[in-house]
Parts: sequence; structure tokens; C-alpha cells
Amino acid sequence: MAGLTSLLNVARDALTAQSYGLAVTGSNISNASTPGYVRRVALLQTQALGTQTGGSVVASGLQRVTDDFVERREYAATGLSSAATTRDQTTASVESLFNDSAGTGLGTSLSNLFSSFSGLANNPTDGTTRTNVLAAADAFTQSVNATGTALDQAKQDLTTQAQQTIDQINQRAQEIAKLDMQIAQATMQGNDAADLKDQRTQKLLNISGLINTTTFTDGNGDQVVQVAGTTIVDGTHAGKLSLDLNGDGSLKLNAVQSGGGTTEITQYLTGGTLGGIKEARDTDLFDVSKKLDQFVFDTATAINTQHAAGVGADGGTGRNLFDVGSTADGAARNIKVSADVFNQPDRIAAAANVFSVPGGSDNAVAMAKLADVFTNTGSTRTAAEAYGDLVGSVGTTRANSQRDVETQGAILQQVQSMHQSESGVSLDEEMVALTKYQNAYQAASKVLNVADTLLGDLMTDVGR
Amino acid sequence: MRVTENMRYSSVASNLAELSSRQATAAQQAQTGLRVNLPSDDPIAAAQLARLSASQAQVSTRRGTISAVRGDTELAESSLQQASDLMANAKELAVQGGNGSLGASERASLALQVKNIHDEMVGVANTKGSSGYLFAGSQTQTQPFADDGTFSGDDESHVVDIGNSTPTAVNASGAKAFTAAGGRDVLGDLDALYTALNSNDTVGITATLTNLDTSRSQITNAQAAAGIIINRLDASDAVLSSVQLQNAKSTDEDGSADPATAYTNLTQLNNSLQQSVSVSKTILDLAAFKQF
Repeated sequence: MAGLTSLLNVARDALTAQSYGLAVTGSNISNASTPGYVRRVALLQTQALGTQTGGSVVASGLQRVTDDFVERREYAATGLSSAATTRDQTTASVESLFNDSAGTGLGTSLSNLFSSFSGLANNPTDGTTRTNVLAAADAFTQSVNATGTALDQAKQDLTTQAQQTIDQINQRAQEIAKLDMQIAQATMQGNDAADLKDQRTQKLLNISGLINTTTFTDGNGDQVVQVAGTTIVDGTHAGKLSLDLNGDGSLKLNAVQSGGGTTEITQYLTGGTLGGIKEARDTDLFDVSKKLDQFVFDTATAINTQHAAGVGADGGTGRNLFDVGSTADGAARNIKVSADVFNQPDRIAAAANVFSVPGGSDNAVAMAKLADVFTNTGSTRTAAEAYGDLVGSVGTTRANSQRDVETQGAILQQVQSMHQSESGVSLDEEMVALTKYQNAYQAASKVLNVADTLLGDLMTDVGR
Repeated sequence: MRVTENMRYSSVASNLAELSSRQATAAQQAQTGLRVNLPSDDPIAAAQLARLSASQAQVSTRRGTISAVRGDTELAESSLQQASDLMANAKELAVQGGNGSLGASERASLALQVKNIHDEMVGVANTKGSSGYLFAGSQTQTQPFADDGTFSGDDESHVVDIGNSTPTAVNASGAKAFTAAGGRDVLGDLDALYTALNSNDTVGITATLTNLDTSRSQITNAQAAAGIIINRLDASDAVLSSVQLQNAKSTDEDGSADPATAYTNLTQLNNSLQQSVSVSKTILDLAAFKQF
């Protein structure tokens, strides 16, 4: 059985252990709102003294209260949520280009164009009506150009953003690999490396916001990080991604192999900012650009055909009103008023034949009536209907992306809440723990005091 | 469930953000009076609104066309009325001239009057409207009838778009009203009467009577045609005006927010937001360490 001296030791160990508990609690409290901080619990256990009852306590270290499963779910949810947000930014800016209620759409300039043909029919000999047609045609091309260019600019911006995102992913991968090395070293030296592990989780959350990310531990106990199905961190080794463009201008995501070759992994890209960029750029923007080009091409071609059939005030015929090219590709960006008629109002073809110049208005009426003809979308829709369809599809895409943002945001919030519930700091709990360790510390002081008093008494009595 | 500080803060933050965003939407609807402020607010309605706005622009253009061309057509009709009256006068003079008791000098003075009628008729046939000579067909910038009655116009129609399936011709044909293309050469008939009166040719004078009648009815027919055009313009305008009303109504139904609902929503959300703020304050005040 232990003596008084060992009681001193017991008291000393108790003071050390309880103050360790206080330190851990203090750290929890001070980091209550630190992002990525995982709460710690001090691990106390009895100090074994061989087979004897020692009665002493020792702080064996601390535990990070975390759950790999919840963390992985948070990575996945972060990826999907940030993909939705990124996509929504693009669809929102596209939508603003087609917002006729705010006066930014093409509807007004299209209506004005057809209206100018009607005005021309009313009074073909009045030079003003001819100038009006040219002005309306010019305004139509200007607004279509502006919209087409804005869509193209958005596409280019997304390419830059994709490159920056990939640079960030590569950077994060290196940082994670470096952290893995530091953690391995710290663990070998017997440290808990809790702060490094917090940082690692934080980096993983960060990278999962950039691209769809999964993690697992391989057979050697190494932490493996995969993005878009490709291993980018394996233990202390970091891989790289690179960006390329396909022939059709769509994004191509490559994994750079150790030999320097690349493997395309675009099809596995489903989440994160990069996933959102890919969908916004190569699906949403591609789709709306294509529809806009088709709308412009169909409308302009129909008007051209009718205009070329008519005769200008100068007796000339066979002239186009628009210069729009022979295919729909890039029509919105490139359409302009044809050089045949530019600045030459006399060449606007109001009459149907050379005999009815200058008062004939048959061709002007035919052009005005194109507004009622199924000129667009494979001869199934009028120009205004086709434009309405375009607005509707832009609106539907935005509404979808908005809904995605809400859904994915709610899922992420729920997962974050699970994570916080598991790993977050509760100040209430910490207050209780603080009191607990404080009381234990005070009690241990009392034990020390008692042992000291008893030893003192003993020495005084014996020495007398 | 274990509730931690961050959960408490983030739930307060997200609830407030959600309410604020809904309140902002309600405020926008109440302020603008529009339910569809962006295509994504209701894509189907937005597409419909774009079509309606195109239709509305077209309808108002067509109504503009009707009011623009109606003036000229009315002018043509009244000019033809005038022409028809002139022909009636000419016929009276012819009847007078046919009277056997008249002498050569009296017929010569009648001939002078016919000459005046002829000149007036040339003036009427050369009436100018807002877009040039009314009876010149497509040659609206050239005087169609010379003093000798030569016609340099044509029989082309001036068509405009007022929403009918076929383009509507809105001009009265000068060729059909005044020239041989319509049956009789009106100015020629007046000339013939003048010549007969001047040369004291009683048989010749009597012979012009039928032709003068035919000429007059030819002008009257053209006048009736102009009247029909005006009726048609009015009928189209009535149709267009009801289309316009219907479009406006549909636009309102598709795109406008009901003011009462919008205001109620806004008030409700304002209250919710206020309550939520005060509840949040209570939640954030709740912390054990403050009790120690």
C-alpha cells in the first residue's frame, strides 16, 4: 500500500491532468467559432503502477471528435452546392440579357423592325420611311450583336475561371500532400497533430468546393484524395489537373500522368465550381447561343429572301437587307446591315416589280407580313413566337438553376449541421467541463495540502 | 441531438437570409406591380408575355397604318364625288346643247363652260394626298393626267398591312376611274362634248350623252370602291382594337401581381421578419456562460 509520499505524487499527477483538461477546454472555447475546428476531448486514464493500485491519473492525450462518414458527405454536398451556385451566376446573367420587362430583350427591336416595314408600305415614296427601315434594321443588328457578344464574353470568362479553378485545385492538392507529410512526421514523434488535421479537413472542404472530391484510406493507411474520379493526393504525393479545349470549343479536363501524358476525365466532372462552370459554359450557354443564332439566322434569312425579291426606288433588285452568312453559326454576333443597302435608303425594296416603282408597296407589305409567317425553327414558329420560346427556355434554365441552388444549399446546410453537431464546440458543454476540471483541480490541491500537513505533523512530532 | 454554437448561429443566419430574400421578392412585386420581373419568375408566362408584346406592337402598328392611310382614302372618295358632280354638270350642259332652239354662239359659250369642267376634272384627277398623287397608281411622284388627258400613271394598287390575310389595297384606281382602262376615257368624253358644242354639231352632242352617263357611273363606281375601302379600314380597326384590349388583358393576367395579394404578402413577410429578428435575439442571448 502506498504511503504519504506517493499521495504527494498522486496529487501532483492530478493537478497536471486536470490542468491539461482545463487547457483543452480553453482551447475549445477559444476556437468555438474557428472554421474547421474540431472539438477536442482530453483523455484521462488511471496511471497503472505495475499490479499495484497507484490511484494516480494521467492525461494520455486528446481526441478529435470527428466522423469520417459525415465529413465525406460534407465534401460531396459542398461540391454540389458550389456547382449549383456557380452555374446560377451564369444563368442569372444570361437571363438579364433576355429580360424584356426591364427593356433589355430583343423583342422591342424585332417589333420595331417589322413595324418599319409597315411604315414603308404606308408611304413608300417618303424617304423618311426608307431611312426608318435602315435605322430599325441597324438597331436590330446592334441589339442582337450586343446579346451575342455578351454570351460569347461570358463563355470566355468561364474559360478563364476554369483555368484559375484548376490552378487552385492543383495548389490545394500540393498543400494537402504537404500537410499529410507533416501529420505523418508529427504522429511519428508522438504528437496528436490535431491542428494539422483540422487544417487538412479545411483544405479538403476547400477543394471539394472546387471539384467533386472523395477521400478514403488505402491499404497502407495512406489518405487518398480523388477529384473527378482521379487520385490527386496519395499519401504525400500530389497529382495535377490540366485544362484543354475540344475541337467544338467545349472544356476538356485532363489528369496529368506522372510520365507527362494526360488522360481525359471530363466525363467524371460532376461537382464543385469547375463542374458548375462546365455545365454553365458547355450546356447552358452553348444552348442559348445556339438558339439565339438560329433565331437571328432564320429571321434575317426570311427577311433577306423577301427583300431580295423586291425592287428598290432606284429600280435595282436582288439585294439583301442583312449580311448574315450562310449558316446559323455565329449569326447573332456577326449579323449586320448588308453593304448592298447600308446608308442607301433608295435601295430598300418596297415595290414588288420595277413597274410599280416608286409608289408600289407590295414587297414592303410582304416583309411586314413575315411577322405572321412561320419563318423560324424549321418553319414552325413566327419570329416573335421563336423569340418567346427563347425567352421561355432562358427563364426555365434559370429557374432550374435557382431551384438547384436552394436544394443543394439546404442539403449542404443539413450536412454541415450534422458535422457541427458532431464536431462543433458547445459553449454550454465547455462551461460544464471547465467547472468540472476547476473543481477537480481544487480538490487535488486539497489532497496535496492534506498530504503536506500530515507529513509536516509527522516530522514535527518525530523530531521533538 | 447535440446543439453547438455554430449550429445556432448558422441556423439564425440562414433563416433570416431566407426570410429577407422572400421579403425582397414580395417588396419588388408590390412596388413594380409585376408578378414576372424576370423570365425565371415564371418561364411560361415570360414566353407568353414576349409573344403578347410582339403582337401588341404589331396591332398598334396596324392601327397606326389605318389612321395614316385613311385620310388619303377619304380624300380620294371626296375627290371622286367632286368628279362625279362635274360629270353631272357636263351632262346638263350637253342636254342644254342638244336643244334645237340654241344658236351656234350659245353652244360656243356652253363649250367654254365644258372646257372649264374639263380643266377642273384634270385638277381633281391630279389631287395630291399625303403620299403623292392619289390617282396615279404607283407613279405617285409624277402628275398622272396631262392637260390633254394623257395618262402617265398606272393601275398598280397601293397595298398596306392591316392584318388581313391578303394585303389590303387602299388607293382608288385613277386608271379605272378616269381612263379607257375603266371603260370610258372621261377627259376624252369631255373633249368630245366640247368639240361637238364648239362646232355646233347637234348630232354629235346628242351622241355624247350616253358616253357621259357611262363615264359618270364609272367614276361613281370608283367612289363606291373607295367607300368600301374606308369601311374595310374601319372594320379592321374595330377588330384590331378588340385584339389590343384582349392582349392587354392577357398581359395583365400573365404578368401583373394582384395588388391586394402583393400588399398582404409584403405585410405578412414584414411581420415575420420582425418576429424572426426578435426571436433570433432571444436565441443568441441564450448561453450558459452568461449565468456563471
